[in-house]
Amino acid sequence: MAEAETKSIDSASVKMIEKAVRDGVNTAFDRAETMKPCPIGMVGSCCKHCGMGPCRVPLPKGREETPEEKQKRRGLCGATAETIAARNFIRMVAGGAAAHSDHGRGVAELFLAVAKGEAPGYEIKDEQKLLQVALDWGVEIGDRSNQEIAIDIGEIALSEFGKQEGGVLFLRRAPLKRQELWQREGVAPRGIDREIVEIMHRTHIGVDQDYRNLLKQGVRAAIADGWGGSMIATELQDILFGTPAPVLGRINLGVLKRDEVNLIIHGHEPLLSEMIVVAAQEPQMLELAKSKGANGINLAGMCCTANEILMRHGVPLAGNFLQQELALVTGAVDVMVVDIQCIMQSLTTVAECYHTKIITTAAKAKIPGAIHIEFDEHNAMESARAIVKTAIENFPNRGKNIDIPEEQTDLVAGFSHETINYLLGGIFRASYRPLNDNIINGRIRGVAGVVGCNNARVKHNENHVAMVKELIKNDVVVLQTGCSAIACAEAGLMTPEAAAKYAGEGLASVCEAVGIPPVLHLGSCVDNSRILMAATAMVKDGGLGDDISELPVAGAGPEWMSEKAISIGQYFVGSGVFTVFGVNWPTLGSNEVTEFLFKDFEAIYGGMWAFEPDPIKAAHLMIDHIDKKRKALGIDKARERVLYDMAMRRELT
Amino acid sequence: MEYKGKKKKAPVKKEVEVLGETFEKGRPEGEELGGWRQKLESREEKLRYLQTGERYWFDKDWYGSERRKNPA
Repeated sequence: MAEAETKSIDSASVKMIEKAVRDGVNTAFDRAETMKPCPIGMVGSCCKHCGMGPCRVPLPKGREETPEEKQKRRGLCGATAETIAARNFIRMVAGGAAAHSDHGRGVAELFLAVAKGEAPGYEIKDEQKLLQVALDWGVEIGDRSNQEIAIDIGEIALSEFGKQEGGVLFLRRAPLKRQELWQREGVAPRGIDREIVEIMHRTHIGVDQDYRNLLKQGVRAAIADGWGGSMIATELQDILFGTPAPVLGRINLGVLKRDEVNLIIHGHEPLLSEMIVVAAQEPQMLELAKSKGANGINLAGMCCTANEILMRHGVPLAGNFLQQELALVTGAVDVMVVDIQCIMQSLTTVAECYHTKIITTAAKAKIPGAIHIEFDEHNAMESARAIVKTAIENFPNRGKNIDIPEEQTDLVAGFSHETINYLLGGIFRASYRPLNDNIINGRIRGVAGVVGCNNARVKHNENHVAMVKELIKNDVVVLQTGCSAIACAEAGLMTPEAAAKYAGEGLASVCEAVGIPPVLHLGSCVDNSRILMAATAMVKDGGLGDDISELPVAGAGPEWMSEKAISIGQYFVGSGVFTVFGVNWPTLGSNEVTEFLFKDFEAIYGGMWAFEPDPIKAAHLMIDHIDKKRKALGIDKARERVLYDMAMRRELT
Repeated sequence: MEYKGKKKKAPVKKEVEVLGETFEKGRPEGEELGGWRQKLESREEKLRYLQTGERYWFDKDWYGSERRKNPA
């Protein structure tokens, strides 16, 4: 096997890894070879929270540690390995929750500006979702205009972040039993920012030094992310840009075009990219492109901004996190415009080897060597036009070293919670009943949320695709977001035809009846909040218990790498979902902390973590958990059906 | 919806008129592909749909796992 083939299961990526080597371009795949992860930091045994450290407290290798050794395994301040591992873990939660929630805050700010008429070019596209959020938050509807309602919603949304007391409003959407549990355990977040700040305080030297108490705050902040910041981002984006509905798209590096201006939109926020979609279709831009010798303007997405514009406009998706450098290696990308999160700093270095221009757009995310065209919500269209124009004018600068892989795959995206509900019952009776019924009758074994990143420490996309294939083969319907969704779409799992090819008989029959793929694309990483809503609807529809923890469901992040993934996993767990991560686990340096997350959490929250780097074994951990829940619900065995005649009925009385 | 007729040969009669296809022909394109929310036009329709379609959260008469008519 050629070396590049050991790095990705995606043939388009393999070709570009090989081309990068030929072109002398250094990528994440090379850096993963030359720089190994720090074995002490990787398992959470390094503390650098003060100037006396960094203190390293690794477990002894290949043997049990003695009580004396354990007693001595401390930082200079006396913090135990347990405290250090828990501190590191919840700081990851804080980082992830902050990223999602600050994204949500940015959307809320734009939303309020739109409502006040201060953001030309934007409008409220989904009145239905506006009314939904108004009902959720107790905003008066009556005969008020959408703008009036939206101003109230925008102000409430912004106040959710800085709130000190009263609780995050979207918690009320959760199953009642779950809300009671959060209150009882003291993990119902008071406000979004407060819980993140409190983590930073508690993990400062000499504050919270009980790992159980630290991890509890981690749950609280993560819930503030999933049911707060992320959910606000999702809902307000839906109001502004439309709630996603099924849309046919194409995916992988083959969506780039040799004869057109290629403009890649990369990052996480759809705020500016929505405007770029509009600007790229303007006649004067198309004329300008033709004047430069191009046959058109080809927009393509990368990572979660891509998921956003794919779901709402069908804009093709060029790839996921580990394909961002490879897209530039094609030599055919005229501009890559980036906003926030998961953007490699090396993009500017790779771009230097070709003609590509990297454009940053967020005041909070600049990269040396990139052009900065700042997104201004009051003048977004002008920023968008400037970006499209830069791409067009760069088209004639393309070199001859162009190689665009042929690979591109069809996918159907856009399965919001609302659309799943609609697809299962139509306008007349939208419902989760068919899903619950098919879980109860065993055609569908359970539901899995497989999400998260790429990680250059493992073969690109392999864990995602192997795990999801194993799950659907065993009749588990899979809901996906983020880079995991992109991986499975590239592997052809997101078309209705995939059900017949890869899914078990029961799941395939349901997919055929409804006309959906066995693997559903729910959007970007903030859209994991849609998975929480789908799980809640399953509970509320009835027949599968009274809480998310009773559902036959499981979660996974098989190629996780970002702090956002840890926060997502933590709010899945804090919402009652068994969640398994691959690659490595950041608390393995402390057996107590790991045991607490993997076992004791279940007794407290109904959900718990697990770590399994083998994706097939991980899939079976999920299936075992689903079967455990099916048994608890009494739906693990097909019940004999007896048609009662009148005599039998009389006997009953 | 306007129903379309279609003429077919029949064994006894020479030709009969039957109901033609009732589905929309072709494949929707662009943003209309898969779109369903535009079917709800007025605010009243949208609010009514929230009560029925999203009844888990917005209908007072809904009896799911959490609001049983006869508590267990």
